[in-house]
Amino acid sequence: MRGKDVTLDSVSITYPDGFTAVQPTDLHVEAGEFFSILGPSGCGKTTILRAVSGFIAPSTGRVLIGGDDMVGKGPNQRPTALIFQNLALFPLMPVWENVAFGLEARGLSKRARRARAQELLDLVALGDQGDKRPGELSGGQRQRVAIARALAVEPAVLLLDEPLSALDLKLRQHMRAELRAIQRQTGVTFIYITHDQGEALTMSDRVAVMNQGVIEQVGTADEVYSAPTTAFAASFVGEANRFDGTVQGVSDGLAEIATARGVFRGRNPAGLAAGDGAMLFVRPEAMALGAGENTLSARLMRRDLEGAFVNLFFDFGGQELAVHVTNTGEATWPDGDADVSFGTANAVILPSGPLARTGRELAAQ
Amino acid sequence: MTSHRILTLYTWAFLAFMFAPLLLMIVASFNDASPPSVTDWQGLTFKWYEFFWMDTSTIREDPVLRALDRGRFGGCFGNSLYVAAWVVPLSLVLGLAGAVLLTRWRSRFNGVLWWVLLSPMLAPGVVLGISALVFWNRLGVDAGLFTIIAAQVTFIAAYPMLILMARLQRQPVELEEAALDLGATPFRVFRRLTLPYLFPALASAAVIAFMASMENYNTTMFAKGGSCTFATEIGAMARNPNGHPPVINAVGTVIILITVAAATLHTVLARREMR
Repeated sequence: MRGKDVTLDSVSITYPDGFTAVQPTDLHVEAGEFFSILGPSGCGKTTILRAVSGFIAPSTGRVLIGGDDMVGKGPNQRPTALIFQNLALFPLMPVWENVAFGLEARGLSKRARRARAQELLDLVALGDQGDKRPGELSGGQRQRVAIARALAVEPAVLLLDEPLSALDLKLRQHMRAELRAIQRQTGVTFIYITHDQGEALTMSDRVAVMNQGVIEQVGTADEVYSAPTTAFAASFVGEANRFDGTVQGVSDGLAEIATARGVFRGRNPAGLAAGDGAMLFVRPEAMALGAGENTLSARLMRRDLEGAFVNLFFDFGGQELAVHVTNTGEATWPDGDADVSFGTANAVILPSGPLARTGRELAAQ
Repeated sequence: MTSHRILTLYTWAFLAFMFAPLLLMIVASFNDASPPSVTDWQGLTFKWYEFFWMDTSTIREDPVLRALDRGRFGGCFGNSLYVAAWVVPLSLVLGLAGAVLLTRWRSRFNGVLWWVLLSPMLAPGVVLGISALVFWNRLGVDAGLFTIIAAQVTFIAAYPMLILMARLQRQPVELEEAALDLGATPFRVFRRLTLPYLFPALASAAVIAFMASMENYNTTMFAKGGSCTFATEIGAMARNPNGHPPVINAVGTVIILITVAAATLHTVLARREMR
């Protein structure tokens, strides 16, 4: 099995009702790469997946797989296999026939199908479950059947649409490792759709952050987490403290932002100029107690022991600041107003823009 | 009187109106009196049943039975089976096509199409019978078993369509998409996924189509020309001015038994379909 690369060449997708789910997008996924598209529900990531698998034709642009234009090719003619969110196992067929279904369509004999299905079931550690119906298996087992069934057709590209979302946390973490291992073993290109940043960051070679039909940033997990390029990416991936303000001055890739509660310095990757509306983002774990390059005075409100970390929540003139410090076991906690600081290199100043909604905002809906 | 009592009374009245006539009909089928009666009890007899297999000589001795044409009755019943043997498969195929079209082909014409395909079921049976008669007559086909089949299929096909649609709507579209994605042609998807999934619904649709065809009277009456079916023949016998022969009661009792059996079978199939 060998992966192929996938290219979206200015692909946009508008539904018949006029809603544009995907704005014109260029994207290149390398052969054999584990590539995730990370975004909130409704951002258009599933639509992209369906365009690659052939269920939707792009309104503009082209989809290329291994350099071949896929225009006019239906899902049954593409070297892709899709793992559906609800898995879509065939309930009336035994597990092995599920796995062998794609081979049946290719005209293999029953004996050859059975043998190949057995190999794949062994690969996903379900070798003795072949004669059961999908309904008799557990959630994690069904998950693995879906993977085996998709791999049976030897796809060059495997497309996964939030396949782990129905599993409980423990199983999900286990399946992450398993998916990664299967991807390495087979060399197939994986395009993985998820709204769970943990999944995207732990499994992927590269991650695309998507919002409202636009891919805002593509990079390695480290890049996306440590060097977000948009306000949305900074607020959606991981936690971040945010300060709104106006750029006051720039120098050497750094910028100074004037906020209602002081002037702070941070990196300026977007090349902002003085006078631009901007947001400064800094991760809770990049904040420290005591004075530093950027110092502010805040009152400790709450302290949550997380284990290895202690999460401190400060009131900074009505705004909540999160500070994560390593739990050394012998720290003393500030009483009343205290200095909190962050390094200039750890803060990033980005153009003002739409933000990811917080959990509280989502819950209020 | 409490509302509970009123409800109880209503329920019993409802059941009485439904089943009392059937009970009277069954009782009269064992009474040696013609025209059939339950008040004028002339003694227990099975001859209204035995009519169908008793000796010709015994029939000739009976004042009531000798007026009946057993051969014609059997012939008409055979016609009904013949008609149903065509109507059931034809309406299953047409109903299946309609159901797949309406559930899988998303278009703005679906609403109109739904009413077009359903309208024969709602149209008066006489209209269907007469229109089939006129239509085929213009094409040079005489009224007979063929026109009965044609007329019945026009509306009976809607029953399988409704039953199969209900089943198809419950099947997640992802299953068919997954099969397509694995390289199957649409025909293979239909044969390997949709058809096995539909099998219980097809079986119950066949039972209902069979019963609809056997018992149909009004449409058949207008389309039959010189031929006859089981239902039209019983209709003809019942219009006897001297009161109908109790043989009809006997036939009715057997039909009730068959109906109960078929309804039980249908329930069993429907329950299996739920799984």
